[in-house]
Amino acid sequence: MASQRVFQLGLRRAGVPSLTKVHTAGRMVQRRLAATQHVPEAEGQQILAKQRLNRPNSPHLSIYRPQITWYASSLNRITGIVLSGGLYVFGLAYLAAPTLGWHLETQSLVAAVASWPVIAKVAAKMAVSFPFVFHSLNGVRHLSWDVGLGFKNITVMQTGWAVVGLSVAGSLYLSLFA
Amino acid sequence: MASIMRTGLLRPAFQSPAASSRMLSTFASASASATIKRSSPLAHQLRPQFVRSTIPKTTRVAAFHATRRTQILPPLPQKIQGTVNDPAPVPHPEYTHGSYHWTFERLVSVGLVPLCIAPFAAGSLNPVMDATLCALLVLHSHIGFESCIIDYIPRKRLPVLRAMADWALRIGTVLLGLALYSFETNDVGITEAVKQLWHA
Repeated sequence: MASQRVFQLGLRRAGVPSLTKVHTAGRMVQRRLAATQHVPEAEGQQILAKQRLNRPNSPHLSIYRPQITWYASSLNRITGIVLSGGLYVFGLAYLAAPTLGWHLETQSLVAAVASWPVIAKVAAKMAVSFPFVFHSLNGVRHLSWDVGLGFKNITVMQTGWAVVGLSVAGSLYLSLFA
Repeated sequence: MASIMRTGLLRPAFQSPAASSRMLSTFASASASATIKRSSPLAHQLRPQFVRSTIPKTTRVAAFHATRRTQILPPLPQKIQGTVNDPAPVPHPEYTHGSYHWTFERLVSVGLVPLCIAPFAAGSLNPVMDATLCALLVLHSHIGFESCIIDYIPRKRLPVLRAMADWALRIGTVLLGLALYSFETNDVGITEAVKQLWHA
């Protein structure tokens, strides 16, 4: 066949050390124009450690598309920290109050809050009730996942938005009407 | 298919030293077997009219930076540990830190659900229920803060800060337990206190 002839001719052409046709792999040798020097391993690791400080960080939270999944998860953690942090702070302050001369028993606290303007009371109630209701409802959502319910993506989104809506409604009710 | 009769078609495929050397980042060694000198007029003719001139200047400059110039949490002083051939360290499994901890955490959370609804339904709680609520709240808060510390202060990167955070949390939890016990005993208890403050 003609293809066999071409192949043989190609081999013959490659075999001939010709000035015009042959290109060996040596033509593509990488040529480094910089001189190198020997560096002991410890110093090399120092260079690497210093270079690591210059490495950029990939963006993560700033580029991830906002979704109810991870927004609700971070809000769950934030509300939990707010509530528990407040409890811890109150507990430590209550223990330290006699030493510091503060009055944190119920009587003094109620008297102080009673003297606030209505808007301050409503704002304080919303600031406490929204985290509480959201964290509780989202906690139930988490517990349902722990027993294996509600894992379909559409269900996760629906329950997430339901928790947000119910939290807003619940905290409004508790702040204004309860 | 190029035929042996038409070898002229095959010749251009071999005859492109100048163009190929320009496209590659490695230099082709100008050895004695080089056919066309890079500076010769023939090389200029064979060199492809490259695409560079067709890219507008504006898009050639990389103006997009995904990282800010000064980082919010700059990297800590780096220490090279081990070599690239060392396997990733596998932690020793402990049931108390793993499966049992998980189960205990869920049990506490489940227990908190009725205890948080009951005050709304019944007005206030009797001291035993209140004490149970306090205990579960203390445990739940401790476990929650522990997860935050584990997530944000890795032991390998910040050993001292992690140890300090762990101990600060333990001491804080013990003090909170004492505080709530004192509040329960000498004062009205948390459900009654919240109720009074709410209707102040």
